[in-house]
Amino acid sequence: MKAKHLIWLRRVSQGLFLAFFVFLLIQTRFPDAAYQDYSLVVSGEQDIRLNYPGSFFFQLDPLVWLTSFLSGHVWLQGFFWAVAVLLLTVFLGRFFCGFVCPLGTIHHMAGAIRPSLKGKAMIAANQKRGSQKIKYFLLIAVLVSALLGLNMAGILDPISLLFRSLALAVFPAVGNGIKAACDVIASSDMKPFNLLGYGAEVIISPVFGYGYPAFQTGWLIGALFLVILFLNRIRPRFWCRTLCPLGALFGVFSRFSMLKLEKDAGACTDCQKCTLACQGAASPGPGVAWDSSECLLCFNCFAECPEDAITFRFRWFPGRNKGPDMGRRAVLGGLLAGVSIPFLGRLDGRIYRVSDPRLIRPPGSVEEKNFLRRCQRCGLCMKVCPTNVVQPALGEAGMAGFWTPVLNMTLGYCEYTCTLCGSVCPTRAIVQISGREKVERPIRIGSAYLDRGRCLPWSGNGPCIVCEEHCPTSPKAIYLRPQTQIGQDGVAVTLQLPYVNLKRCVGCGICENKCPVKGRPAIRVMAAGETRSIRNQILLDM
Amino acid sequence: MPRPQTQSEAVMHHLITRREALKKGFCLSGALALGCAAGWPVRPASRVWAMKKDAAFLIDATGRTPGYSVQELTEKVFDAAGGMGRFVSRGDVVAIKPNVSWARPPALAAGTNPEVLEAVVRLALNAGAKNVRIVDNTIHNAQRCFAITGAGMVAKKTGADLVYPRSSLMREMKLMGRRLDVWPVFVPLIEADKVINVPVAKVHGLCELTLGMKNWIGGVGGRRNALHQDIHQSIVDLARFFKPTVTLIDAIRIMVANGPSGGSEADVAVANRLILSNDPVAADVQAAGLFNIAPASIGYMVLAEKQGLGSLDLNGVNIKEVIL
Repeated sequence: MKAKHLIWLRRVSQGLFLAFFVFLLIQTRFPDAAYQDYSLVVSGEQDIRLNYPGSFFFQLDPLVWLTSFLSGHVWLQGFFWAVAVLLLTVFLGRFFCGFVCPLGTIHHMAGAIRPSLKGKAMIAANQKRGSQKIKYFLLIAVLVSALLGLNMAGILDPISLLFRSLALAVFPAVGNGIKAACDVIASSDMKPFNLLGYGAEVIISPVFGYGYPAFQTGWLIGALFLVILFLNRIRPRFWCRTLCPLGALFGVFSRFSMLKLEKDAGACTDCQKCTLACQGAASPGPGVAWDSSECLLCFNCFAECPEDAITFRFRWFPGRNKGPDMGRRAVLGGLLAGVSIPFLGRLDGRIYRVSDPRLIRPPGSVEEKNFLRRCQRCGLCMKVCPTNVVQPALGEAGMAGFWTPVLNMTLGYCEYTCTLCGSVCPTRAIVQISGREKVERPIRIGSAYLDRGRCLPWSGNGPCIVCEEHCPTSPKAIYLRPQTQIGQDGVAVTLQLPYVNLKRCVGCGICENKCPVKGRPAIRVMAAGETRSIRNQILLDM
Repeated sequence: MPRPQTQSEAVMHHLITRREALKKGFCLSGALALGCAAGWPVRPASRVWAMKKDAAFLIDATGRTPGYSVQELTEKVFDAAGGMGRFVSRGDVVAIKPNVSWARPPALAAGTNPEVLEAVVRLALNAGAKNVRIVDNTIHNAQRCFAITGAGMVAKKTGADLVYPRSSLMREMKLMGRRLDVWPVFVPLIEADKVINVPVAKVHGLCELTLGMKNWIGGVGGRRNALHQDIHQSIVDLARFFKPTVTLIDAIRIMVANGPSGGSEADVAVANRLILSNDPVAADVQAAGLFNIAPASIGYMVLAEKQGLGSLDLNGVNIKEVIL
């Protein structure tokens, strides 16, 4: 195959995989087809599920597979894809980075379209350097940490990082902008504008989210994404070369790659065009050994070389490539970090002593210790939630649980029969449950408590039964008792006062969400009473 | 205390307000043709609301035959009133306001029965309606509500439009109520030529029953959870503002406990009834009978009669019974 064809094959593959990734990301939402399916309606038994394999890219990702296995001891469904990718890496090297990885593709585009460096500066930037060892440090830290019970992989894993950045920052930010514009247009008194605003919203909402989606720490997720994109101006594919732990994993496995770059020293004129175009800083030029562990298989050098001095060939006989240049310091540092982080992460006492009342996990979540072993912090559950209640944690889950999903009832509430979050979780940190199981067992995520000083009827400020009205359990967990009070003006009024029955409350939070007292509602949900934790119970009989 | 209005005054006052509101909207648009091309209801305002006030009637239909067709009963109830053609004219844009507030399957009676809804949509289309829209500002997530109550399925089967509650469709309007002055209103309900209210009959913790008039809480946006602080007058203000062409109360299944959200089949009773009336108060009064609750004990019904929306006393209403 000619080099030019290989380049185009790579570009097509990158484009298709990126498009597929974005397509799946957009489809990770309440499915459109659900309200047109008669059988769902009539029985109410069948649960609503996505029509597309939303976690496909996570199944492809060997780092997700390895860390879930090491830390959560779970053998995940569909992860033969990841095994296949690793096996292929043994034969082909880092083909995933060059041909598949959607984050790599975005970096590739960011670095290649109007590059900031030219000529000698670019050649200098593409020299292999010591900082490329950082990714091995991160990989070892992540793996050791996983082995010791804290799965941090998702913070740096490219698939998780890209999903989280797009779903929780880029798409909502763009969507909110468009929605604001639509609202301005729709508020016009002129009918055509009015229609245009509504029409645009109808088309745009399924892609960018309904209403004004909100994600706490979304600004941070977005800012970090912009920073790693900007790094491409310092060196092309800075992230892939320097930071990506998945790239490092592939680098280790490419040691025995049979697809090898071969240099014809006799034909080489030392024009440096190969190094100028090199994406991975993998030493394609003369005089030094090619680094299979750094090569992203972009085939740019192959295509650029004017003397045909560079070729890629399959060598079937076993022959080791130059090993990954980790360096002792990266390895030892990685070990040290990997050992420290899980133990330091548990010092806040949340696992062994008392959990944060705000740490309300999605329905079906496993117990906290296991949750931190499994959760990839990818944001699938946050993206799919129809009420936008699932949020990336800031401090609720401690340092160890940064960006893991937590429910914020002032932003949304957990719909009584909805079980979408568990159905999309790629690592079973949230187990898939049925709507029936959620209601009948029941699966509690917390429990509600009243703040009588704020509550309108309790504080003598007038009638209100909004929490009771919205309470979804049957019989209701919130019940009313009439009480006559003497108001400030001496007039007796009878008000219905709400009470919470903890035996019935499942902690769905619709009471908190709909309470007319905004910001800090008069009825709130805390994690205590959650089914997943034996320790975090309130009542003697659960 | 404002001067008590007579019924006709109240109606006149109300009509002018809304007509003005509509006219203002239409005149300012200055591009009626474009609106028509886009298929939105742009019609002279006068035709919408200048209908001659009919004498009050009420049809009470019961399905007695085991395995009767709910859709057939719905057709019969409209036939007894003189057919859908009496309410819907050729070329009308019809907004149907079911109660699909909660994402609950039909068996739990938390929302309007999809069979009833489907029959009403079909009748309106057969009567020559240009466009039928199913409109509700739901409480649970709208997508889930439309999916699980069956309203979405009805829309797909019949070709009716599902109108999602969106902020771009909420417009601050003067309700001129005694309690509610300016409030965001779900626009498709105001811009339709004819409005058919199709609520379900349920019990409610604060106002005893949620029937036809209370269904209009789903016609507005904004801080709806504050309306409970003066729920009865709020309901009457909304019922006066939205005054539908006709009200059909779905009492095929009724929620007798744990309302208005229910959640268990134990909360549901099968009543097999449909109540159709052009008098929103009379429809609610008749439906209250299903729950053995005296209408005079329900605040908003009493207020509604006092403020001239209809009659608590059904003696003056022309009542027909339909049995299938």
